[in-house]
Amino acid sequence: MHEIIEVGLTVNGRPHELRIEPRETLGEVLRDRLALTGLKVSCDSQVCGACTVLVDGLAVSACTYLAVDADGRSVRTVEGLAVDGRLTPLQQAFIDHAAFQCAFCTSGMLMTATALLEENPAPTREEVVTGLEGNLCRCTGYAPIVDAVLAAAAATAEATA
Amino acid sequence: MKRVIERPTPPSPISVSVPRRDGIAKVTGSAQFAVDVVVPGMAHAKILRSPYAHARIRSIDVTAARAHPGVIAVVTADDLPDVILRYGHALADHPMIATGKVRFAGEPIVGVVAEDAATADEALRLIELDMEPLPAVTTVEAALADDAPVIHEEAAEQRPHRGFEEDISKTAANVCSHSRQHYGDVDAGFAAAALVIEGEFRYPMCYAYAMEPYTTVASWNQGQLTVWSSAQHPYMVRDDLARCFGLPLSSVRVVVPYVGGGYGSKSYTKIEPLTAALALRAGRPVRLALVADEAILTTRGDSARVRVKSAFDAEGHLLARKAEVLLNTGAYAENSPLVARKAANRLSGPYRIPAVDVTCDAVYTNTAPASSFRGFGAPQVVLAGESQMDEAAERLGLDPLEIRRRNVLKPGERPWPKVRGIDADLGADMELAAIELDWDAPAEPGRGKAICISASDAGSEPVTTAVLRVHADGSATVMCGSTEMGQGSNTVLAQIGAGEMGIPLERVHLNQSDTGMVSYDRSTGASRTTTLMGLAIRDAARDVKAQLVGWAQDAIAKDGAEVVEEHEGVRVGGTFHDWGAVVRAWFAGAGGECIGRGYVRKAGATEAMPPFWEVGCVGVDLTVDEQTGRIQIHKLVTIGDVGCAINPQLAEAQDVGAAIMGLGMATREELVYTADGNLLNGNLFDYRVPRASDIPPLATVLVERGDGVGVYGAKGGGEGALNPVAAAIANAVFRATGARLRQAPFTPERVWRALQERDAAAS
Amino acid sequence: MIPRFSYSRPRSLGDAFHAHAATDGEGAYVVGGTELLQVMKMGLAQFRTLIDLKGIAELHGIEVLADGTLRIGACTTHRQIERSPIVAASLPGLAELELHLANVRVRNQGTIGGNLAFAEPHSDPATFLLACDARVELASPAGRRTVAIDEFVLGPLYTSREPEEILTAVLVPPAGKGGGRGYAKAKFFERPAVAVGVALTVVDRVVVSARVSLGSITEVPMLVPAAAAGLVGAAADPASLAAAARIAAASAFADLDAVDDLNGAADYKRHLAGVLIQQAALAALTEATPHA
Ligand SMILES: Cc1cc2nc3c(=O)[nH]c(=O)nc-3n(C[C@H](O)[C@H](O)[C@H](O)COP(=O)(O)OP(=O)(O)OC[C@H]3O[C@@H](n4cnc5c(N)ncnc54)[C@H](O)[C@@H]3O)c2cc1C
Ligand code: FES
Ligand code: FES
Repeated sequence: MHEIIEVGLTVNGRPHELRIEPRETLGEVLRDRLALTGLKVSCDSQVCGACTVLVDGLAVSACTYLAVDADGRSVRTVEGLAVDGRLTPLQQAFIDHAAFQCAFCTSGMLMTATALLEENPAPTREEVVTGLEGNLCRCTGYAPIVDAVLAAAAATAEATA
Repeated sequence: MKRVIERPTPPSPISVSVPRRDGIAKVTGSAQFAVDVVVPGMAHAKILRSPYAHARIRSIDVTAARAHPGVIAVVTADDLPDVILRYGHALADHPMIATGKVRFAGEPIVGVVAEDAATADEALRLIELDMEPLPAVTTVEAALADDAPVIHEEAAEQRPHRGFEEDISKTAANVCSHSRQHYGDVDAGFAAAALVIEGEFRYPMCYAYAMEPYTTVASWNQGQLTVWSSAQHPYMVRDDLARCFGLPLSSVRVVVPYVGGGYGSKSYTKIEPLTAALALRAGRPVRLALVADEAILTTRGDSARVRVKSAFDAEGHLLARKAEVLLNTGAYAENSPLVARKAANRLSGPYRIPAVDVTCDAVYTNTAPASSFRGFGAPQVVLAGESQMDEAAERLGLDPLEIRRRNVLKPGERPWPKVRGIDADLGADMELAAIELDWDAPAEPGRGKAICISASDAGSEPVTTAVLRVHADGSATVMCGSTEMGQGSNTVLAQIGAGEMGIPLERVHLNQSDTGMVSYDRSTGASRTTTLMGLAIRDAARDVKAQLVGWAQDAIAKDGAEVVEEHEGVRVGGTFHDWGAVVRAWFAGAGGECIGRGYVRKAGATEAMPPFWEVGCVGVDLTVDEQTGRIQIHKLVTIGDVGCAINPQLAEAQDVGAAIMGLGMATREELVYTADGNLLNGNLFDYRVPRASDIPPLATVLVERGDGVGVYGAKGGGEGALNPVAAAIANAVFRATGARLRQAPFTPERVWRALQERDAAAS
Repeated sequence: MIPRFSYSRPRSLGDAFHAHAATDGEGAYVVGGTELLQVMKMGLAQFRTLIDLKGIAELHGIEVLADGTLRIGACTTHRQIERSPIVAASLPGLAELELHLANVRVRNQGTIGGNLAFAEPHSDPATFLLACDARVELASPAGRRTVAIDEFVLGPLYTSREPEEILTAVLVPPAGKGGGRGYAKAKFFERPAVAVGVALTVVDRVVVSARVSLGSITEVPMLVPAAAAGLVGAAADPASLAAAARIAAASAFADLDAVDDLNGAADYKRHLAGVLIQQAALAALTEATPHA
C-alpha cells in the first residue's frame, strides 16, 4: 500500500481534513480532491505561474509544492477571492482593462497580484512589473495586466481613504 | 489607444468596448477548459515518447506495464488494427501512434491508461523499448542532401482540406510540399535593374506556447464518439476522427470548452485520435492532458531559410523579386503545405512588383512537426523582404519611408493577378506610424527607428454557417462553430448578433464550438472569425427577420395591414411588436422560436480570394547596448488597420498581444536541436517567452476605414502586428549601429557578433 | 508527476539523522523542494523517502554574531533574506541578489541551504558568497564542521557534503572597515548566463585587497585571483576602478574554460564577464565608500 498522511488545511477559510499520499502536489489536491479547478498547470516546472496559490499569504507554485507542506496552513485560491459574488477590486480591474484573453494565466496572475498588493498596497509600476515577472502570459503582452493591478491599487486606496 | 475612424457609425453595441462576456467566469476561476472536463468513469492516460529522432522500432515489451496494479490498458500501434492510424487534413502522413518507426524525438510510441495519472506514469517506466537508431536530419540542408535518409518512405494520401486548390507536389524525397508564386517576366526585371539586393535570412523555429497544453477527453457510447478538446477547429478534428474510426460525421461530436490560447498551434488535429483510440481500447472515457514539455514536442512553427534577390530601378521602384524559401517542417506535414503556399505569396509584400518568382519548399526533417503559428508564412519571409527595402533605400540614398511610399499598393490595387485588390490603405497607415515615431525628428546617434509593413492573404476559405434563434421572450441565441480561445469571439459575435437584431446584448447568448449542437464552421484561425462568422451571423439575422416579417403578416396583420420592419421588431398598423411578440403570435401561445440561417461560401462578396488582406504596420525606436549587444526598445508602434473594430478594446488587445509575441520571436525565442535530433530547450526553463519586464512602451492606433468585406467594413486582425516586428527591429538596429541582422532571433550574442563584424569590416 | 515516496518530518537534527539512517541510502533531505521535486518529476532522481528539514527550528533564522559574522540558517527562504533588515544592513548585495533570483514563488519556497546544497552551476548565491569568503556549517551525527564555499561546491550538482550531513547555516564574515561587496549578472533564460562577484577593501582611497568570483560561465563558481590582483592598487573612484577591472578582465578571463551552451558561446560569455566585473566592482565600491 502507498503511504497515506493525514493533513488538515484551511482552504479559502474552510477547514479540510484529508488523507493524501505524500507525493500529491497542492495543485493535484486542490483540483482533483477539492474540485477547485481555477488554478491551472501549464509548465509544471515553477516557471509560468499559472498554478499560483497563496499559502499563509505567500505565493507558491502549486504544481511543485507538496500538499503535506500545507498541513496546518491556510491556502487561498482564485475561487476564494470574490465573496458572495462580489468581485475584488483586482478582479474588476482585470475585466475593465481586458487584462486577460484566454485566461489560462489569469488565476495565477490574480493570486500573485493579490499577494503583491497585500504586501505593498501602493506599488509603483516598476514594482508591479518585478512582482509579476514570474507569471507568464502569452496573450495580452502584459501591459493591460500591469495597468489593471495599478488601477486596483488606486481603487482600493480611494475606497479606504 | 488612438483611433482613426473614416466609416459610418454602425448600430450599437457594434463598435463599443463592451466588457468581455467571459469576464466573470475567467476572473473567478470558473471558466471551464478541457482539463476541467470530468466524465463519469474517466481514466487517465500518459504517453511514452521516443528518445530517438529517427529509429526503427524492433520490439516493445509492455508486459510489466500491463501487470501494474491500476493499469487499464497499454496500447501500441499493434493494438489498433481496426483504426486508420494516419491522419492529417492536408496529407494523411501522421500516425497517431508510431508504427514501425519514429520520425522525431518525442513521437508517441505507447499509451498507458490507468485509474489515475500517477499510476499511468509509473507504468510508463516499466515499458521496455528495443529501437534501432537511424541516421537523422534536423536541418533543411541536411534533409535535402543527396545521401540524406528518407523520412517518409511511402506517399501519403492527399486530403481535401489543405486550403489551396492545386495538388501537393514533391520535388525531392524529403520535400513535403512545393509551392511557387510566379508572375511577370522576372529576367527582364533583373536585366533592367539599376540596383540588385541579394541576401539570405533566417527565421527561427518557434514554439507558440499556448499556456494551456493540449488536452483531450474522449468517450465512446454505443459507437458514438464524443471528444472534448483544446482544439481551435472542432469541425476539422471531427473530420479526422470520422475517417480514422470509420464513422459518419454525425457520429462524432467534438466539444471545445474555453481554449487556453491557440495562436494557430491548436489548429487542426493533435492528440484527439490517440485519445479516442486509448478510450476505445480501455473501454472507458479517457483524459490525456499533456504538460508544456510534451506540448513543445507536439507542434511548433516552421523555421525558414530565405534566399532572396530584389531588383530596383534608380528611383527605388521594385522591378522584380526572385526567392527560394525552405521551411523546416519537421516530421509530419500538418498544415505546413499551406504555410509554404502562404510564405510564397507573402514574400511579395504589400508592394507593386511587376515580376515575382518565389518557390517555397516545406522540408521534412527529424524534428517535432511544424504547423500553423500566428501569421504563418508571413513572419518567416517579411524579415527578408522588408530588410531588402531598407537595404535598397540605404544604397539609393532614400529615406526608408520614402522607398515604401513609392512601392506600396494603393487601395484596391492587386498585388498579383486574379486576386482581390488590397482592401487597406497601407500608405496612410505608414504615415500614422511615422507620426507616432516622430519620424522626421533629427536622428540621434546610436538610436534607430524603422517602420515595416506586410500584407497577408488571410481569412482562409469562406465556408461558414450560423444559426440565430429568436425565442418567444424576444431574446436570441446565436449558434456557431467558432471557438473562444481568448480573442473575444464570444463577445464580438454576440455584439454583431445583438446589433443586427436590435436586441439588447444581455439578451443575446452565444453557443459555440460543439459539433453536435452548433452548425459548421471551417476553422477559427487566419483572423477570419469576426469577418466570416460575423457575415454568417448577419445573414442569419437577416434570414430570421425576413421570416418574422412574414410571420407578422400571417399572424398579426390578419386584415392585410401593412407590416413595417424596424430595427428591433415590426410595426403593424401603428403598433410596435418586438421580435418575441411576433414569435408568440405566430405560434398562438407562449412558446416557439424562429430559426434563422446564415451561410458564407465562395460566392458574392466572399467570392474573390483572399476573403480579405490582413495588413501589418509596425514601428520601433530603439538603442543598442554596444557592450552586451542588448537591444532596448523605447517605443513599439502598431497600426491596427481593421476596417471596423467591433469591440475596440479587444481589437487593440489583439494587436498588443501579437506585437509582443513578434517581439519574443524577434529577440529571444528559438528551439534549438542537436544534430542528432534532440531538442535542447524543450521546456519553459530554457525556451524563454516575453516577460512583464520585456514590454517596451507601446503606442497603438486603430484605423477603421470600413474597407473590409465583413460587417460594417470589418476585416481580420490579430496577426498583422506580429508579422513586421522582426524586420522593423533589424532595420532599426541597422540605423542605430550600422550592423545588419539577418538571422532572428536577434539575441544579445548575435547582435554583439554583428557589431564585431561591422567593426572588422570598418578596420 | 512526482513519483511516490514516503515522507518524514523530523523536529530535531537528531531525529533527522535517525530518519536518514533508516532509509539505507535511499532517502534525501528536502526543504523547499524546488530543485528536488523537479528532478524527481523529470525522472532524473528517485528517492524512497524524503526527510523534510523545515520543521527543525535551529535551521531557521538570520542573526549577526558577536564578531560581526552574518549567520543565515539553511532553511531560510530566499524571500526572507530578500526582506530581512539584518541582511539589508550587513550584506546589502545579497538582499539585492535575492530580489532578482528566480521568481517570487521559488523565492517563497526555496532556501539558501537548498540552493547551495544542490550546487547548480548557475547559482547566484554561490558565486556571490564565494567572493564574500563565506563558509557553510554542516552537522552530522559525528559533529559539526565549517567549510569554505569553494571547498563545499566541488562540481556541477556535486558538493563535499556527506549524504547524512545537514547544512545548518551560511556564515558570512563582515566586510570590515572600508570593505564592500558587489555582484552583477547577465541572464537570458531562467538562470544567470554569467555572474561576477567582487569584494574589496579600500584604505586611503586605494583598493588594498580584492576577491573576484565568477559563476555560471564555468562548471563551478570559481575565484579568479589574477583578476582580483588587477583591482588591487586601483584608485577608489569609479572611473579608475572600472578601467582597472577592464584591464584585469582582459588578461585574467582570456583563457577561462567557459562552457558553450544555450546561454552563449564561450567567447561571448568571457566578454560579458569583462563587462560585468566592472559593474560588480562599482557596486562593491559604493558599499565600501558610502559617503564618497
Ligand atoms: C524556476 C526556477 C528558477 C530559479 N532561478 C534561480 C536563479 O536565477 N538563481 C539561482 O541561484 N537559483 C535559481 N533557482 C534555484 C533555487 O534557488 C533553488 O531551487 C532553491 O534555492 C533550492 O532550495 P530548496 O529549499 O527548494 O531545495 P530542495 O529542492 O529542497 O533541495 C535541493 C537539494 O539540496 C538538498 N538540501 C536542501 N537543504 C539541505 C540542507 N539543509 N542540508 C543538506 N541538504 C540539503 C536536498 O537534498 C536536495 O538535494 C531557480 C529554481 C527554479 C525552480
Ligand atoms: S504550472 Fe506551476 S509554475 Fe507553471
Ligand atoms: S490570457 Fe492567455 S495566457 Fe494570459
